[in-house]
Amino acid sequence: MNTLPEPQTTRRLSLSALATKRMGQTVEVGIVPVLILLALYLPFAYFVIPEANVLHLSLFGINLIGQIMCFALLALALDLVWGYAGILSLGHGIFFGMGGYLMAIYLLNGAYAETHVLPDFMQYMGASDFPAVWKIFSRLDVTVLVTIAATALAAGIFGFVTFRSRINGVYLSIITQALTYALMLLLFINDVGLGGNNGMTGFTTLAGHRLADVSTQIGLAVCSSLLLVVAYVGVRFLARSSFGRALIAVRDDEARMRFLGYRTHTLKLFAWCLSAVLAALAGMLYVPQVGIVNPSIVSPQLSVEIAVWVAIGGRGTLIGAIVGAILINGLKFWLTAQLPAVWPFILAGVTLLIVVYTSNGVWGTLKGAGSADKGGRR
Amino acid sequence: MVNFRQIFLAIACSALLWAAHTQAATVSSAAATKRAMVLASFCAPDGDKAAALEQLVEVGISSDAQDRAWARQIVGAIRNGSLACSAHAHATLNGSPALDAIDLQPAAHAAVDTSDVPYVPSIVMMRKLVVASAEMDLFAPQQESRAAAARQIDKFFALLDPVVVTRAIRQERDPDTVTVLTLAMAKRGLNSSVKADRLAAIKAVAQVPSETARTALANFAAQDSVRADPDVLAAVQSAIRGIDTWLSFGRAMSILFSGLSYGGVLLLTALGLSIVFGLMGVINLAHGEFIMIGAYSTYLVERFMQAHLPGLFDAYIFVAIPVAFAICAICGMLLEFFVIRFLYRRPLETLLATWAVSIALIKLIQVLFGSQNVEFITPGFLNGGMQVAPAFFVTYNRVFAIALALLVFLATFALVRFTKLGLLMRATTQLRDMARCLGVPAERVDRIAFGLGAGLAGLAGVVLTQIASVNPSMGTGFVVDSFMVVVLGGAGSLAGTVVSSLALGEMNQFIEPFYGAVAAKVVVLLLIVLIIQKRPQGLFALKTRV
Repeated sequence: MNTLPEPQTTRRLSLSALATKRMGQTVEVGIVPVLILLALYLPFAYFVIPEANVLHLSLFGINLIGQIMCFALLALALDLVWGYAGILSLGHGIFFGMGGYLMAIYLLNGAYAETHVLPDFMQYMGASDFPAVWKIFSRLDVTVLVTIAATALAAGIFGFVTFRSRINGVYLSIITQALTYALMLLLFINDVGLGGNNGMTGFTTLAGHRLADVSTQIGLAVCSSLLLVVAYVGVRFLARSSFGRALIAVRDDEARMRFLGYRTHTLKLFAWCLSAVLAALAGMLYVPQVGIVNPSIVSPQLSVEIAVWVAIGGRGTLIGAIVGAILINGLKFWLTAQLPAVWPFILAGVTLLIVVYTSNGVWGTLKGAGSADKGGRR
Repeated sequence: MVNFRQIFLAIACSALLWAAHTQAATVSSAAATKRAMVLASFCAPDGDKAAALEQLVEVGISSDAQDRAWARQIVGAIRNGSLACSAHAHATLNGSPALDAIDLQPAAHAAVDTSDVPYVPSIVMMRKLVVASAEMDLFAPQQESRAAAARQIDKFFALLDPVVVTRAIRQERDPDTVTVLTLAMAKRGLNSSVKADRLAAIKAVAQVPSETARTALANFAAQDSVRADPDVLAAVQSAIRGIDTWLSFGRAMSILFSGLSYGGVLLLTALGLSIVFGLMGVINLAHGEFIMIGAYSTYLVERFMQAHLPGLFDAYIFVAIPVAFAICAICGMLLEFFVIRFLYRRPLETLLATWAVSIALIKLIQVLFGSQNVEFITPGFLNGGMQVAPAFFVTYNRVFAIALALLVFLATFALVRFTKLGLLMRATTQLRDMARCLGVPAERVDRIAFGLGAGLAGLAGVVLTQIASVNPSMGTGFVVDSFMVVVLGGAGSLAGTVVSSLALGEMNQFIEPFYGAVAAKVVVLLLIVLIIQKRPQGLFALKTRV
């Protein structure tokens, strides 16, 4: 991004536009130690604090926190493209799913090395051994690298052709939704070799640690929280850099930025690929925690829900996305257990109220930063 | 012969025998002689039972209505094993009371010999009897029983009587039945040992191309005796080639037809979506749920008509059209009033808001009606279909879908093109601010257009009750496809919507036979995404100034 021209005046202007109230800034920075403390608290809460104490967390609770952290990371990824680049992707589940499925392949490799029993779905398909390609994913570091590369490539190809032909706004949203739908249908087919309808399960170990162990599950939850912190700090840094401000300018008036000499599609493409990689990492951490991956991970439903978390929290605020994801998913886990029939109505009601009657979600409204957004075309 | 006491007794016997009995009242002596002869040859201990059966069938298809009924009853009796031959070639029908087989009058007690053993047909004889009664049914006045008889004869084609069946073919008016009978005749001819008969049969089969005809010929061609004879083999092969041409033509036609009907449904769903998108730049993710509401409105109308107006039940589908339209239009206008109008400058938020509405609506219908499929009784006139060409069967429900889609499109086109409302809608679509300056009540136009779009989706729901399963989440699958139609055709363009919905429907149906339904959807979606790269505003983008 060194090639970007950085006119001094633009910087001053953007800085003042982005200046937030001191209060808001404190919270935005404050979430970092809070999340780190939470991560440190998790093992402590399980091993040290006695069960009778209120502060004790069951393994179920810790697992839940880990999953919610993955969703928060996913929301953060979407906020980067929606809040800053104005690209509402209704297909981030694709990247989340890519990470999840590739992780599942790695985990199945580990299970096979241990038990020498092929997964059920492969036996049904009449396979006698793992496909050769799968062997690549026998090591965790390779899997992570390949996943990052594959997601970045997939996002890059889609982003390149799409941004270059200047598809944006609602069009882009429904195309990404259609792609999500297509991928889900594809994964439903048994012949694709990824477990079809039932997906993949039966994972045993992750990098030498047994998944059934308490320490592994707590470790995964801690990792999820810490990765969220790192991603938040990184994305926030990026968003406040000249790159982030250029991105905001593209969101608000792409044509003008193009006339000013910026390569707007390159800017968008970079944000898009980064966002996709973050989503894939979230998927990689999510799958070993839930212990299964199936096509519902790329259902259009989930992808829209990600956007809803961001919208409820407030897009373009980063912290809003995290808070929105944590709030809605916490509420969802709690309410679907208590009142399963009522949950969709509550989700719909909350979404409608916040989307229709606030200008930019909970955090955006609290921060009062809506003024910069109102006129913009998003 | 007339005996009133006997008539009285016979009425008391049973309702089944009533018809036979009244006819028996006027049995002439000539008829009686003929009947006696037939029975005698059947009952003769060393007689040719098959030949006797042929005579019986001949009586059964004669011009005399009483004779026909008599023969039918005798054949039925033989099949039941209730016909008993006495020693002196005289037959009776066992039962209470026992009947004389000639005139079907209760037999005089003296004539009934309880030691007479009923004739029990062998398996081969049983088949012959089945064919015999089917042959008689070929001349029945009801078309259904003739068709059923033809199928029976086709099943046991080796046993049919060519003379009788040829007569039946000459008289038959229903083309399906003629085809079945011709094929049965031809299959019998193929088994003949005379070469000329075989060649004629091959020709006859080639005249009635169908899947079964092809199988019959292919089986025939595989026989050793056929392969040894070059003339017959050549004839068979050319006949098979001819049938193949017909079949592939029929298959292409039926794919075209099902693509057309799918395209019709897509047109209905996408029309409203396209108008709303063009006018307001708003994508309504709850559009699929309007389809679902339309289908459930149809369900309510169906229930109501069944309970209160059973006489007009078949017309429920026509009653449902305005009802579903009205319900969905009202729901659409309410949605516009309470949600959409607050989000005009924020189209992406509209996506989320309408999504929220859609999950709430799905859940609501689940709570009200349950989440399982709702069963519909198809109106009589939409049941079944018509064989237009070999391997090309046109079902009436799909014809209905196409016709309704066409009518609705024409109505919408007229509305947009020739009415004042349409003028205002076009003005607002092209340049909203200018239109408002000129006094167009853009807000009201938006609301009405949104209602119209929702109503059109409701009509799609009415159609879908006849060709797809109806459940609370039925809309979600369709809505992605109709978005693609809008994206491909260009927002707000009626022509684009028609072209792209038909293209999408046809593409889906053409790919499906090769790679399966799911792959077809995936390929089509990817294809659209590619086309969009070239033409981002759709194939038929309107010239607007935003």
